[in-house]
Amino acid sequence: MTDTRFPRLEDAILDDAFPELDLALRRGRHVDRDDAVWYALLVDAQDHLEPLYRRYGCELVHKSDGYFYLLPTNDRLGRRHLSAAEMLVGQALALLYLEPGTVETGGIVTREQVLAHLAGVVGSDVLVRALNPKRRRYDERVAAETVRAKVADALRRLATLGFVDALDEPRYRLRAPLLRFAEPLRGAGSPAAHLAELVASGELVLSEDDGVVETGDDADDDATDGHADADGEIDVEAVADADDETPEAPR
Amino acid sequence: MTAVSADLDPRPLVTSLHRRGVALELHTLDLCFLAALHLRAERAGLASFREDELLDVFHQVVALTKDGAADGGDGRKKRATHVVRRLRDQKLLVRVDGAGVVRSGEYALTRLATGIVAFYLEDEALTRESLGVLAGTLTACLEAVRDAVRSPAAEGADDAWWRANVVGPLRVTLFELASGIERRQRGFDLQQEAFQRDIGALLAADWFGAVERCTVLLDTASATLRELNDMLLRHGHRFGELLQEVLERATDAEKVEAERAARDAVEQVERIAAWGAARQRAWSDYHEWVHRYLRDVVRLDPSRTLVHRLREQLAGRGGKAYALTVANAPAIRLLRAVTAAPPDAPVRRPRKERDAKLEPDAAADPDAALVASVDAALAAGARGLADVTARAVGPDDELDARFRAAGKVAQIVARSAAVGAATERPWLPAGDGIVVEEWSLDVTQDADAFGAAGLDAGAERAS
Repeated sequence: MTDTRFPRLEDAILDDAFPELDLALRRGRHVDRDDAVWYALLVDAQDHLEPLYRRYGCELVHKSDGYFYLLPTNDRLGRRHLSAAEMLVGQALALLYLEPGTVETGGIVTREQVLAHLAGVVGSDVLVRALNPKRRRYDERVAAETVRAKVADALRRLATLGFVDALDEPRYRLRAPLLRFAEPLRGAGSPAAHLAELVASGELVLSEDDGVVETGDDADDDATDGHADADGEIDVEAVADADDETPEAPR
Repeated sequence: MTAVSADLDPRPLVTSLHRRGVALELHTLDLCFLAALHLRAERAGLASFREDELLDVFHQVVALTKDGAADGGDGRKKRATHVVRRLRDQKLLVRVDGAGVVRSGEYALTRLATGIVAFYLEDEALTRESLGVLAGTLTACLEAVRDAVRSPAAEGADDAWWRANVVGPLRVTLFELASGIERRQRGFDLQQEAFQRDIGALLAADWFGAVERCTVLLDTASATLRELNDMLLRHGHRFGELLQEVLERATDAEKVEAERAARDAVEQVERIAAWGAARQRAWSDYHEWVHRYLRDVVRLDPSRTLVHRLREQLAGRGGKAYALTVANAPAIRLLRAVTAAPPDAPVRRPRKERDAKLEPDAAADPDAALVASVDAALAAGARGLADVTARAVGPDDELDARFRAAGKVAQIVARSAAVGAATERPWLPAGDGIVVEEWSLDVTQDADAFGAAGLDAGAERAS
C-alpha cells in the first residue's frame, strides 16, 4: 500500500492533508481512525514519516489500539506534560471508555457524567483538594465551582489533543487515544516495571509526590488561576473564553 | 404530524389547550382498567359496556392487581365510581346511550383511551413482513389513483369527481397506510433503544462471555435495519413516481384541493424514506463503536484487570502518579507586514477667500399669501369682513396666529375694497375662536371713497 500511494517522502509531503496533519501532530494532537483522512495518510506514509520526525527529535508512535501521536524525545520541537487536572479528567474518561455502560450511548458522555464519575471514584473531598492544591482553606461553593471550571477546561484541552471529540457543549465522544492514560497499567507483567519502561522512553513523567502531578506545564493551570480574585472566586466565563482552537481533522 | 394537523397553526392550538387546562392523570390502576376494557371489548366484540359490565371488569382488575383488594363491597363500588368518573372527566370513557337518568348508562372507550392502551399492548415495530404488506397495499392504492387521473373520465371532470377519486383515497387510504408505517417506525426506534440498553447490560453482567452474543445481536440488528432501509428506499422511489404523476395531472387540471392532497402525500412518503436513511447513519456510528469496544476493550482485557487498576490509580490507591508527555511545538509566528505611514501634509495658508461674496436675495413679502387669499375671497363674492376673514385665515393655524392674521386681513380689506360701516357694527364669528366687527364691503367702489383707512376696525378673540 505504501509502495503504491506514497513511493517517496516527497509524495506524502505533497499530499493536500499533510500540512494540517503535520501542524496538528506537532501541537500534540492524537490521530485515530475517526480522523479518516489523516489516519489513512499516516498509515500509508508511516515508513517515510517516522525517519522524518526522528530528525526533529520525535517518535511517530502508532499504537495497536489504532491511533498515532508524536512523542518528543528531546526539546528540539517543544513538549509538555499534562497537568494534574488533565490527567485526572483523562483517566476518568479512560475509565468511562472502558465501562460497559458507555456502550449504550455509543461512547458519548456529558460533562456532568464525567464530574459525577470523578467524584464517585476519587471522592468529592479528594477531588476538591486535588484541583485546588494551592489553597489551604476554601469556601465549599467556590471550591466546587473551581472544580467544575477546571474539569471543563481540562476537557477542552483534551479535545484539542484529540483524546475526545467535543460534539455540542457539554457532550463529548470518547476516542481510542484515551487508552494512553491507562497504558502504564496494561500488560500482564508488573505495572511498576512497565511504568519504569515508559518513563525511560519519555512517554510520561512521574510526579514528585504521590498526590498531584505538578509539572512545568502548570502554567496552563496558572492561567486558569489567573481568573481567580483575591477571595479565590473564579470567573468561570473568563475561563471558558480562554479556549484553544481545536484543529479540525478532515473526515 | 399527520397530513391534517400539518395545516394547523400550533399557536392557537397550544393556547387553546392551555386555556382549557387539558391534562391527563392516570394511575396504574386506571391504565390496567382501560387495558382490561379494551381486551374485553375486542374478545367479546363489544362496542360499549353496561354499567354492571364496567363494575365487573373493575372488580376483576382489583382482584388481579391486589390493589385495594382489602376494600369491602361498598368501598370497591365507590372506588369504581371514582375511577369511572375520572376517566370520563379526562375523555377516556364516554357515555353513549343518551338516556340520562332514565336508565343506567352504556359506556365506550374513546379514541384517546384506545390509543393509550394500544401503545402498551401492541408490539407494532416495523418488520420486513409488515413493511412489505403495508408498502404493497400503498403502492396498489397509489396506482389506482394514478390510473384514475390518467383515465378519460378525468378530463374535464368536476371537483366532486376529483374529490371522490383522488383527494379521498389520498387523504384516507394513503394517510392511514403511511401512518401505519410511521407508527411502526416509532416502535422500531423504541426497540433499538431497548436493544442498546440490552447490549450494555449483557456486557455488564457477563463481560467476556457476552462478546459472542453481542456480536450476533449487532449483526442481526444491522441486517434488519439494512433490509428495512433498502425496502424503504425502493418503495419510496415508487411512491414518489406515482405521486408525482398525480400531482402533475392535478396541477394541469387546476384542482387545488387534489394538488394539496398530493403534496401532503409526497411529504409523508419522503418522511418515511428519510427515517430509514437517518436510522442507518445513526446505527452505523453505534455499530462501529460497539465493535471497536468489543475488539479493543473486551477482548484485550477479558478479566477486567485494566478497569480495576485504572480505578485504583484514579482513587490514589495504585502506584505513583504520572503525567503523559505530549508534543507542544509553538505555533509558527508570522510577523505582520509593516507599511510606512505617509508623512503629514505641510501646513499651508488657504488660497480661497475666507468670506464668501454677498449675493442679492429678494426679500419675500410675508403678507403676500394673505393678500392673495383676501383677493381670492373678495373675488369669490365675500361681502363682509367676517366672511373674508373666515375664508382668508386658515383653520389649521394656531389661535394666536389666526388672531394676528385677522388684523392684517382687516388692513388688506380696507385697502382693496370700499368699506361701509353702520353706527352699530355687529360682532360676527370669523372662523373658529375669532370674532370681528362686521364691515360691509363694496368691491366696485374705490377704497378711499369711504375713507376706510380711518375706520376703527377691530377683532376679538372669542372667549
